[in-house]
Parts: sequence; structure tokens; C-alpha cells
Amino acid sequence: MSLVYFKNVSKSYNGSLILDNVTFTVETGEFVSIVGRSGVGKTTLLRMLIREELPTKGKIYFNDKEINRLKPQEVSLLRRKIGVVFQDFKLLPNKTAFENVAFAMEVAGYSEETVKKDVPEVLKLVNLQNKADNFPYQLSAGEKQRTVIARALIQRPELILADEPTGNLDPINSWDIIKLLVKINELGTAVMLASHDKEIVNTLGKRVISLEDGKIIRDEQEGRYLI
Amino acid sequence: MIAILKRMFKTAWQGMKRNNWLSLACIVMMTLSLLIFSSILIFNHATNTLINTLKGKMDISIYFKTDVPEEDILKIRDELLSNETIAKINYVSREEALKAFEERSKYNPTIQKALDELGENPLAASLNIKAKKTEDYNTIIESVKNSSFKDKLITVDLAENQKVVSRVDALARAVKIGSLFAISILACLSFIIGFNTIRMAIYSLKEEVEIMKLVGASNWFIRGPFLLEGALQGFIASISATIIFSLLLLAFGGRIENFVPGIGLSVYFWSHFWFIFFLQTAFGIFLGIISSFWALNHYLKI
Repeated sequence: MSLVYFKNVSKSYNGSLILDNVTFTVETGEFVSIVGRSGVGKTTLLRMLIREELPTKGKIYFNDKEINRLKPQEVSLLRRKIGVVFQDFKLLPNKTAFENVAFAMEVAGYSEETVKKDVPEVLKLVNLQNKADNFPYQLSAGEKQRTVIARALIQRPELILADEPTGNLDPINSWDIIKLLVKINELGTAVMLASHDKEIVNTLGKRVISLEDGKIIRDEQEGRYLI
Repeated sequence: MIAILKRMFKTAWQGMKRNNWLSLACIVMMTLSLLIFSSILIFNHATNTLINTLKGKMDISIYFKTDVPEEDILKIRDELLSNETIAKINYVSREEALKAFEERSKYNPTIQKALDELGENPLAASLNIKAKKTEDYNTIIESVKNSSFKDKLITVDLAENQKVVSRVDALARAVKIGSLFAISILACLSFIIGFNTIRMAIYSLKEEVEIMKLVGASNWFIRGPFLLEGALQGFIASISATIIFSLLLLAFGGRIENFVPGIGLSVYFWSHFWFIFFLQTAFGIFLGIISSFWALNHYLKI
């Protein structure tokens, strides 16, 4: 049983094909980079996994459950099992870093005591313990992204999707974020990283799925970004 | 359950505090909307008062020939009282009519002189009839016209009264239709103002709603605090509207009363204070909840 299974998935917008008959699996605890030029369908692929988008054709499974067939309540549960790190952060602007992370626990129905105990620990893990009371506008881009990672981590997800997480960051902050993702992966969480940053992908030395014109052109363990 | 409610209240209160300008704009617009709502209640009362005053002033006076003895008139009065459509009959004797006439024309020497020259009482005794319903006046007039005592009457006044009766009835109907039309327009206006303000406020928070969805929040988890926020804004707006209305009535109530005597706006407002406040608050809370619910649904679909 694979953690993620894309089975002949195609996606088109207004008649133009973005993903064309894509098939691959991701196993528990794996680190997979999805690479390709901008607009090649990396983000679409990740968005379909949290059912922000539906495939035009094909099936997507998460833990053997077909995502397309989930009921609305099940979609909420799915999103709690998959942590997402967005390029544009998607932090709640009127909540502090602490509250943003706590929100992900609250939606899952954790008690106030558990929230108060767990959130500081995760913020410490991403080295943000001193910025807990800051609002997003008071955080730097790197700090925002670390808050997003903390939010993604807090529910102990089985999979973390990172969509161009370093897209808005300088090189030092970019490496901090990537190191954090590797550390999370080493603790047993699968990571799917969508990126067009050659240097990062090649340095990682993990599995790489390369996309071109909506198709998988290469899928290699310890792969490289060769486009 | 209590923990969920506590969390909902905390989030709603925090939302209002942190989006303070947006919340203030919503409360101001909802206050305006509720002021219109309360004006509708007061306006409705004013039109009803006007119609009732008009109706209350209406009666039919039937005048008897001067040679008809008092006993006959009183007998006719008793006979008429058996008619179920008649509420009250007041007998005015010739002497009483003369006294009232003299009182009314005491500053008019010509009339006084004319009365002196006549030497006798020229005025007729009359029965003033009040019907239970205005629409019954015409039937009463018809039955008087065709009665056994019709020869004892000076019948001209009946025709005059008939005109007045139909005019008052038409006026009352026009006022009722007009006020119903105004009430409908104002009610729609009040709803549209409140509804669109909240919709716009939620539109500005649509990204937040989307983020909440992507983090795995259920629709009701997101909705709860927003609905509560809408209800709280409605409640605060209702208190503000009541304060503004009270101040306006304290400042201008007397002048309105001078302009339209008997309208009793202040008396009505203070005697129905809690009733108006309750209706207004219920409308405010309903408006807040329904607008938030409607506006949110659109963004909860992802």
C-alpha cells in the first residue's frame, strides 16, 4: 500500500492540458522532489492531493482512499493529515504566529491544554519561540515560512507538501527551510517538494520526478534536476 | 460543547477587535439599517393613529324636524340602538344645540342679533350616531333613509355625510396602502444596507476563509465565529440605534407633537420601549447571522 498513488491523472483548464496521464506512487517516509519549469503543473499536482482541484481524468489515492470520492467532511480530515507549505505562506493575517499554529490544532478538536503544550514545542523546533506573539506582518519571509512549517507539522501529518517553499526567500533562509524539511523527513514524515531550484534539488540527492509538457519524463531515486 | 462555544466566542471577539475598522463600519451601517427599521415601527404607529383619529372624528348626525317631540326621538334612538352595527348614539336636544351654537358664535354679533330677532330656537334636535366600523356608515345611512321615521327627518345632512364617509374611507385606504408601500421599501432598504455591508466585510476576509479550509477546518468551524460576530455586531448596532432614537425623540419629540397634534410618538416609543428594542435586536441579530451565512457559503466551496 502506497501513501500516495496517482493513477493516469490528467488535468486541463479551459481545454488546455496541464497534466497528461501522470502515474506515480509515493511511499511512507519518502522524500520526493517534483521538478520542472514554471507552469508545468507541479502546483496543480499538489493541489489535487488536498482536493483544492479535481483531476479531469484519472484517480488519486491517499492511504488507499480515492480523493475524488471523498465527502466534504472527509476532505477536512484529509487536509488535517497532509501538511501544506505554500510559497505565498497563506498565514491568517489577524492571528499571531502562535495562534496560526494553534488554529491547525483547534480545527482538529484538540483541547486548550494540549494546544498550549504542543504549540510552543513546535515553534521551538522551527526556532520561532521568541516570535510566538508576532503577527505575520511583523515576521520576515523566512520566519513566515517557518511558521507555515510549524503549522503543517503540528498535526503530525503523514505527508508534507511543500510548494516552492523557497520561492520568496533569500539563499540562507532557503537552506534553513530545506534543512528543516529534511529533518522532518528523517523523523518519518513523507515530503513532496515542488521546486524549480536546480541547486537545492541536486544537493538533496533524493528521488526526483521531472515533469515536462504535463508528462513525467523522468523518475529517479537519487535523481537530479536535468532540464 | 462548552469548550467549542468558548473557543467560538473568543475567536468572534478577537475577530471584531482585530478587524476593528471593518467591524466599526459594519456596526455603523447596521445601526443605520436598524434606525430605518425602528422608523418603520414608529411610522406604522403614526399612520394607524392618523387613521384612528380620522375614524374617531366621524359620525352621522340625523336632524329631526322641529315639531317632532322629544319622546319620539328617544324612541327612535332606542330603536336604532338595536342595530348591531351602531356603537353609540348621542341625543342632542334643541336646547342643547342652541346652547352649543350660542357658545360657538358668542364673538359674532351678527349671528347673535339674528337669533334675538327670530325670538325662538330655530335649531333641530339631533342624534349623533357612531358606527362600530367605518364601512358600516353607508348601510346605517341607507337604513335611516328607508326607515319608518324618515318623514320626521331633515334629510339633506344624510347625503352630505355620505360624501364625508366615503372621503374618509378613501383617505384611510390611501394612507394604509401608501404606508404599506413605504414600509416595504424601507424594510427592503434596511435589509439591503445591512446585508451588503456584511457581505463586503466577509469578501475582504475571503482569503482567510480559504486558508482555514486548506488547513482542514470544517465549514461549521469556520462559520461559527463569523455568525457569532454578525450577531454581536447586530446586538451592538441595536443598542446604538436605540440610544440615537431616544436622543432624537428627546430633542424633537415635542416639536413633532406640536406639528402633528395627537400623534404621540414619544408616548408610544417610551411605552413600547422594550418591545421596540426586542424587535430591533432580533432583526439586527437575524440580519447579522443570515448575511454572514449567505456571504460565507460562497467561499466555503473549495
